[in-house]
Amino acid sequence: MDNFAYFRPGSLSEAIDQASAEGRDILAGGTTMVDLMKLDVQRPDGLVDITGLPELEGYEIGADRLRFGALARMAEVGDDADLAAACPALTESLWKAASPQLRHAARLGGNVLQRTRCPYFRDTAYVQCNKREPGSGCAALDGGVTSLHAILGGSEACVAMYPGDWAQALIAFDAEVKTQGPGGTRTIPIADLHLRPGDTPEIETILEKGEIITAIEIPVIGAMRASHYLKARDRESYAFANVSAAVGLEMEGDTVSDARIGLGGVASVPWRASAAEDVLRGKTFSEDLAREAGRVAFAEATPLEHSAYKIPLGADVVAGALMTAHARAKGEN
Amino acid sequence: MAQTINTEVTRTDAPRKVTGAAHYAADFTPAGMLHGALVTSRIAVGTLTGIDISKAEAEPGVVAVFTHETLPDYKTVKGFYAGGPGSASFWPMEGTEIKYAGQPVAYVVAETAAAARRGAQLVEPTYEEGEANIAMDPSDSFIVGAGEDSKGMTVTKGDVSAGLSEAAQSVDVEYVTPFQHHNPMEMFAATAEWRGDRLTVWMPSQSVRTLRHGISRAYGLPETSVRVVSPFVGGAFGSKAGITPYTMLTIAAAKAVGAPVRLIVTRPQMYTVATFRPESVQKFRIGADASGKLTAFEHIEIAQTSQFDEVVNPGTHMTRAMYASPNIHTEQRLSRSDTNTGGFMRAPNEMQTFFGLESAMDELALKLAMDPVELRRVNDAQTHPVAEVPFSSRSLMECYDAAAASFGWADRNPEVGGMTDGDWLVGYGCATATYPTNISPSAARVRMQGTGHAFIELAAHDVGTGSYTIFAQIAAARLGLPVSACDVVMGEAHLPLAPISGGSTTAASAGSAVHLACLNLAAQVAREVSQMSDGPLSGVDPERITLEDGVLRGPDGQSQPLLEALAATPRGEATAEGEYRHPALTDQALKLTYQGGYGVAGPVTPEMAMFAFGAEFAEVRIHRWTHEIRVPRLHGAFAAGTWLNRKTAHSQLMGGMVWGIGSALHEVTEIDHARARFLNANIAEYLVPVNADVREVRVEMLEEQDDYVNPLGVKGIGELGIVGTAAAIGNAIHHATGKRLRKLPLRMSDLV
Repeated sequence: MDNFAYFRPGSLSEAIDQASAEGRDILAGGTTMVDLMKLDVQRPDGLVDITGLPELEGYEIGADRLRFGALARMAEVGDDADLAAACPALTESLWKAASPQLRHAARLGGNVLQRTRCPYFRDTAYVQCNKREPGSGCAALDGGVTSLHAILGGSEACVAMYPGDWAQALIAFDAEVKTQGPGGTRTIPIADLHLRPGDTPEIETILEKGEIITAIEIPVIGAMRASHYLKARDRESYAFANVSAAVGLEMEGDTVSDARIGLGGVASVPWRASAAEDVLRGKTFSEDLAREAGRVAFAEATPLEHSAYKIPLGADVVAGALMTAHARAKGEN
Repeated sequence: MAQTINTEVTRTDAPRKVTGAAHYAADFTPAGMLHGALVTSRIAVGTLTGIDISKAEAEPGVVAVFTHETLPDYKTVKGFYAGGPGSASFWPMEGTEIKYAGQPVAYVVAETAAAARRGAQLVEPTYEEGEANIAMDPSDSFIVGAGEDSKGMTVTKGDVSAGLSEAAQSVDVEYVTPFQHHNPMEMFAATAEWRGDRLTVWMPSQSVRTLRHGISRAYGLPETSVRVVSPFVGGAFGSKAGITPYTMLTIAAAKAVGAPVRLIVTRPQMYTVATFRPESVQKFRIGADASGKLTAFEHIEIAQTSQFDEVVNPGTHMTRAMYASPNIHTEQRLSRSDTNTGGFMRAPNEMQTFFGLESAMDELALKLAMDPVELRRVNDAQTHPVAEVPFSSRSLMECYDAAAASFGWADRNPEVGGMTDGDWLVGYGCATATYPTNISPSAARVRMQGTGHAFIELAAHDVGTGSYTIFAQIAAARLGLPVSACDVVMGEAHLPLAPISGGSTTAASAGSAVHLACLNLAAQVAREVSQMSDGPLSGVDPERITLEDGVLRGPDGQSQPLLEALAATPRGEATAEGEYRHPALTDQALKLTYQGGYGVAGPVTPEMAMFAFGAEFAEVRIHRWTHEIRVPRLHGAFAAGTWLNRKTAHSQLMGGMVWGIGSALHEVTEIDHARARFLNANIAEYLVPVNADVREVRVEMLEEQDDYVNPLGVKGIGELGIVGTAAAIGNAIHHATGKRLRKLPLRMSDLV
């Protein structure tokens, strides 16, 4: 780890000023940042610790709108009974993430910016990594192990997978990211926040230097109540998803009036499976329909050498999640 | 006096461990100590063409940067598989040759650990890179040894082909197991301090005497000049047995800088600077007649080894001891690849070979339409199938019957895919566990005081297994003292000989030495009191005085508690040593052990075969949608002679089974073929079971008497629990899904 300067601003505007300087990063829970600094992958000159800013704390579960301060902890929000009733997929995505220790440390704003677990990105002994060293190549695609890489949204430069859980649930329900930066405040649809790798995998979001996530907001919709986050992984807890799905259904009788599907463990960014949602909308729900939606969700997937299993697995996970959401819509689960 | 053996005794060292009073090797900080850090190779094979240390040397706090050209007085030892105490035969930093990824190429010494690590990052080696293969090619293997007797690596009895042609059913199957790493919680660490020609090394170790013997010879010092300290070990599992480069480099660095140096190896470096479980292929051809009786048994093991050592942990020695067959062929083969040398990891051959054997037996049972338990019963060997000597005790089927009853095996629907529960497919499976009983020579010293206290001293180790406690229990039982009054001193090389804490050897071997030392002490006290002018044993022939539960007894009903007798003697204390040597132990094995090696009697002696046995039953559930594999129930029954401490033994067996869940479902050191590197060298990505993966684990401990193995009747159990777990789980997966997974770990990706 390099030596670095540590800043503890007294206000959001001071934080923005401090974080706007070249070579500086923002520190919240630190569960990704400090980890990557210890690995010498991130080497900031300075860290601006925003955890002392009370305006970024707290969260509200409103009837029309959910609001999560950027510094709300994964653990406190994951334990909220009102949120569990309003949108079980959101609390489940938090509960199934990381470990209790990490959930107590990690903050919701930083969580959506969590960086890939691609082993070639995280281990500097591998020379090739376009995300870490632009232009150096991609070890994963150059004969590497690709069982945990993206089969959706990757590029020839980078197939690193976005690892989180929470953002998959956010994208299913059209969350908005509120930011404040040198250019003022803005509202970014979460679907626009992350950038696919393309030729510049080192640029992961549209956030500008010094721009700080202040809150995440979600307008309440009907499909939230009958929602579910299903995470498939080899270990029961404390493991990243092989495939996950955040789904929500709104039913009118036996007909699906709205369907939401976010995918995790398979894509370079939080992934919305819009085509699969369209399979469901306006149709009579059935297991066959759920399976069809699962297949369509992965129709565009490009399997890598070791990740072909994710296509049938992903289809089943989407279908299974929809079955649970449907049971919830029917009041059965 | 309360019973102290075959009962539950809480670890005597537990309060010290939970309060931090137990000092592990890296907790000792000699005055003026500096910190070391390793720089390891990025490439796997090639040549170091240059190494720029200027930036590292300029880093504040860095005291010295050593390379292959600049480390004076760096000594090495012979590798274990070449008959020495080293973890490998090839030593890094002796030249420019790179033979495996993660090989040490430089050693940084600094005032703080952070500065040392930072300095290590600033060292810039350059390489000429050669072609490397990290994985073995099983089709390119060579045979190890050959011979007719049971100790031969390759054994042929009868004619396997003829046996297979007579068979009503047969299997011809291959199982694959991956590289695995021990990942002890306690990092590898070494602290070295020179004072003139006297050297002290603090290091977590499974064998302080191996360390001292090897280091003193490497430096041409008498053993009296080398002190090795390892009072507690935070997990070893085979990874802390040999002398590794990180130790010898630290000793040399401390000498060069003229100050004590401590190195704590980083977690990723722990994957390459010491040993691991090599990958393997297990090939079986087994035939049986219609009644299930085997007509042929063939096992060929192909294990990975490095380019410079032949890692032979002969798993076929165990598999061929299991089931009776008139025709047997077993063969040990090795295949080389570009890694450091592998070694021992908990049940170093039995984990992988019994995954193969016990899965193959399940496949055979299915073909025969037989209950898998009954297939084991009809083939339960009463004599060793190759050595043709009886087992000193063998309770395999008693274990099966006990575990089957506890598990509810009889209630299962044997049909494949026949059991479901909601969204879960349910399957049951079982497998045999075994572990050889290895008995090393061992010695101990006991000093007992008339105040009612005793010190028990021996160069053994508590690698987390409970050795401190069981030696206190043995002494307490013999001397008639409470366990808490018996203070056990271990983990220093100057103490009486104890074996390497490996191969489940310590309790049986060193325990027997403690037992004999107590008997010798009692005999000494008996002689003294028999010569005294008064007292109950005055004038009694001391040769006819025996010790029974802490009481000296004469031939005519005279008796006196040992403690009372001792208190009556003029000194009021006594000291005695005991050395245990199994009658079947050869002089060569005795000599080897005293020279720091691993000398044992068993598991097959000229008269007997000595093995501990168990049976494990697993219930698995596979989720209909996620294909996740979970293990809600694991039941094992075990028989291993006398149970010294029912609590620590239970923990050993349960811990082994938990690790077995990991071996079955989670553990694999991933490899990057293109760069010949281990890929997931950290415990975030190297999966081991978490609490949520371990649900009901039930351990049943059967009584078994064995008067042959040693005077205490004890068989080792440290490794028994893990053996068979993976096969039991794999067999249950087949029962649930109809899919036979033959490659560890068994993953959801194999089930879609």
